[in-house]
Amino acid sequence: MAAAARPGPGVEELVLLEKLLGLPKGSKYGVQGERKVPVLQTNNGPGLTGIMTIAGYLVKQAKKEQLLGSTAEEKAIVQQWLEYRVTQVDGSSSKEDTRIILKDLNIHLEDKVYLAGNIFTLADILMYYGLHHVMVDLTVQEKEKYLNVSRWFNHIQHYPGVRQHLSNVVFIKNRLYTNAH
Amino acid sequence: MGFGDLKSAAGLRVLNDFLADRSYIEGYVPSQADIAVFEAISAPPPADLFHALRWYNHIKSYEKQKASLPGVKKALGKYGPADVEDTTGAATDSKDDDDIDLFGSDDEEESEEAKKLREERLAQYESKKSKKPAVVAKSSILLDVKPWDDETDMAKLEECVRSIQADGLVWGSSKLVPVGYGIKKLQIQCVVEDDKVGTDMLEERITAFEDYVQSMDVAAFNKI
Repeated sequence: MAAAARPGPGVEELVLLEKLLGLPKGSKYGVQGERKVPVLQTNNGPGLTGIMTIAGYLVKQAKKEQLLGSTAEEKAIVQQWLEYRVTQVDGSSSKEDTRIILKDLNIHLEDKVYLAGNIFTLADILMYYGLHHVMVDLTVQEKEKYLNVSRWFNHIQHYPGVRQHLSNVVFIKNRLYTNAH
Repeated sequence: MGFGDLKSAAGLRVLNDFLADRSYIEGYVPSQADIAVFEAISAPPPADLFHALRWYNHIKSYEKQKASLPGVKKALGKYGPADVEDTTGAATDSKDDDDIDLFGSDDEEESEEAKKLREERLAQYESKKSKKPAVVAKSSILLDVKPWDDETDMAKLEECVRSIQADGLVWGSSKLVPVGYGIKKLQIQCVVEDDKVGTDMLEERITAFEDYVQSMDVAAFNKI
């Protein structure tokens, strides 16, 4: 429900990604099927389907391959989180699902600055876009509970060019619930 | 400001807490601030201080390009939480205080002195600011309590009012002020802690003695 309620979930963020990558505007996007999977019409060929495929294509178009990871490990991790984003985050429908996702991420981000470790990647960008509507609705207490996610989210939203028109999610500087951690 | 002694476990703990909700020492990009703190730490933080360790490993990944990171390195004591006292340069700082030449006769040092002075003031201001919430805001309130008629027992009324007790509420002196036709009103002083007691609550509690109290007004309200 939550995913379907947002207008064209994938297309909007692909446009944001395009702008972030510095690509010229004007790509033609459509949606396909019941799940509103985004489709990119390219000049040659039948068009690309699915958010991961299109995002990967856009990154290569912009010649910013470092966003897909530099080492083999990083590339694999980026793919893994992109997959997580599409299957888990987009597929989440209940509060319980969201809670599990935040918990997963909170554990993962405990010892990492970015999802792939020390470099900013496509996984961070798409996870940020995918989680924005979730983070907006979190209470102060939840934000503190998922402290690592909050730190990462706050970091990404301040990364130049990422946030764009999306609302700035406020994280308060002083922790209120000292025993939560 | 400052983390205290970063070689000690306590200093690292402060750093760890500081980094819990931050990716970097300052702002959202790695900077000379990170390098300055990084260089002050001799070895990777222990695994239980995972926020500090995460940051340490992350900054370590920038080691090759550390010279090109933005920002200007400041004294170690200028970083970190505002409520921790700077112990790194305390001794030299106090000496500098005495040396400040108010008339600025040595020109070449002036700008540096001024900068230092400004930084010190900033730090002072910040520490003051951080201490501020600890001060309890209090108000002195003068209440007018009016009885029903001239037959109301004013002694009893006062007793009732004074019987109201609450955390952060202290009753002060009172007097009876004639209103006319033999009716007197009770003027009573009280001191309240703003966070704990509000005038609404006082009014509610006082007017609850409806046998004696006809109405209640706040005659004066002063912040202390």
